[in-house]
Amino acid sequence: MFKQIYRKIHGRAPSFVTEKRGVSLRNPYLCHMLRWKAVRHLLYWEYEMEYRRSNGWFLPVLFTAIVGFLCSLVVRDPSPTTWLALLWITIVFSALQSAARAFAATDAEWLYMNQLVRPGELLLGKALTNTMNTLVVTWTGLLLFHLWLGWPAQGPAEGSTIALNTGFIISISLGAVAIASTLSFTAALASKIQRGTSLMAILSLPLLLPTLLVAMRASKLALLGEPWILLYPNWIGEIVLCALPISLGALLFPYLWRA
Amino acid sequence: MKNLWKILGAALVGYTLIAGLLFDVPRLVILNETIRNLYFHVPMWFTMIALLAGSLVYSFRLLRSGDQGRLLDLNRDRQAKAFAEVAMIFSLLGLFTGMIWAKATWGAYWTADPKLNGTAVTLLIYAAYFILRGSIDDAEKRARLAAVYNVFAFVLMIVFIGILPRMTDSLHPGNGGNPAFGNYDLDNRMRMVFYPAALGWILIGWWIAQLRVRLENLSAQ
Repeated sequence: MFKQIYRKIHGRAPSFVTEKRGVSLRNPYLCHMLRWKAVRHLLYWEYEMEYRRSNGWFLPVLFTAIVGFLCSLVVRDPSPTTWLALLWITIVFSALQSAARAFAATDAEWLYMNQLVRPGELLLGKALTNTMNTLVVTWTGLLLFHLWLGWPAQGPAEGSTIALNTGFIISISLGAVAIASTLSFTAALASKIQRGTSLMAILSLPLLLPTLLVAMRASKLALLGEPWILLYPNWIGEIVLCALPISLGALLFPYLWRA
Repeated sequence: MKNLWKILGAALVGYTLIAGLLFDVPRLVILNETIRNLYFHVPMWFTMIALLAGSLVYSFRLLRSGDQGRLLDLNRDRQAKAFAEVAMIFSLLGLFTGMIWAKATWGAYWTADPKLNGTAVTLLIYAAYFILRGSIDDAEKRARLAAVYNVFAFVLMIVFIGILPRMTDSLHPGNGGNPAFGNYDLDNRMRMVFYPAALGWILIGWWIAQLRVRLENLSAQ
């Protein structure tokens, strides 16, 4: 019945709805559970919607800009530690802003999406969108911090030189991805509750603390120009803290969506 | 003898109260008599973890009970909630016993130590769990969402309190070369009190949690 409705609206059969049964080498089990075509379609749909909405992706970026500007007004010539702390605070709250919007949709849209894709695909698609949004927000924040606050001055107690390096960019980006993966799940949870956006900060901030601590340590070491051999363990920690929420979310999301 | 374990728990805790305060302990500098805190502080955390693990299992069973279109078994939800509540009481007790000990040995009630941060985060996560429960009116929906959050939060909490403190230096016993209940540090005499204490408190905690479940069940009727 759904296929007929789809054909009436779009004039063609839904390409990714038809599925082959059974497991083959060309179509291993996991790929069978998650149809990449569906995920891709979700991503495309998501960006189409973002582009059409007047307050789409611009909202979290503007939030980042405002918070960054506030930081630049409050602090003058911050030490590297202060600079980094302000940067991460800005990133976390901007990521919260952007993630809270990830699962905002009307009932009709939910009905449509639930018919098109499976819960796992929905979570993966939303998490990917959210990750990209968070990365954009993070890099914007970094640029604006560079513009308004300058690069952190080297304090008298710090021994190493401070320079923008690849390690720092990688640490920040990995941290942002890890934050986004946790936030995608809590956003999904909060979207099921009325007035969930205010609850979301309470639900997700305690869960974000391990990620934040590892990411802050990695970026601080990178900022002080430590060799990569010291950074690797923290990067592995960041990757684990990114994979853990996603895999847990994939396990739990179907239960969440049954409501 | 269905209730043998309750008698055992009460007996073990009674034994550790006497033995923990009166038996001989090794004389160590700085620690002095505060070493007895091992019998009362550490079992609180063991009990908390055991009860939270119980809560996790009940949450998972709640989610599984809704499989294949069946109705959710709301009994499991009450069990998960009660176990988490009692676990938080034990967490607070562990925190207070630790703070008194820290004042005597470190000179301050609170330091920015990884272990203390872990405790604070655990309390915050489960406070969020209770707030989440409080903000949903529909019982089925509340049970499902709370269970999902419980499973998610427990795993991240274990990562936080189990792995991260081992990556950094800490003043806490067991970290950074400080003695704790490792193979070489724990005296044999202390072991005779510490292990029964841990087991006894876990049993008592389980008992309290079950009483709370029965209370919840009665008020739900």
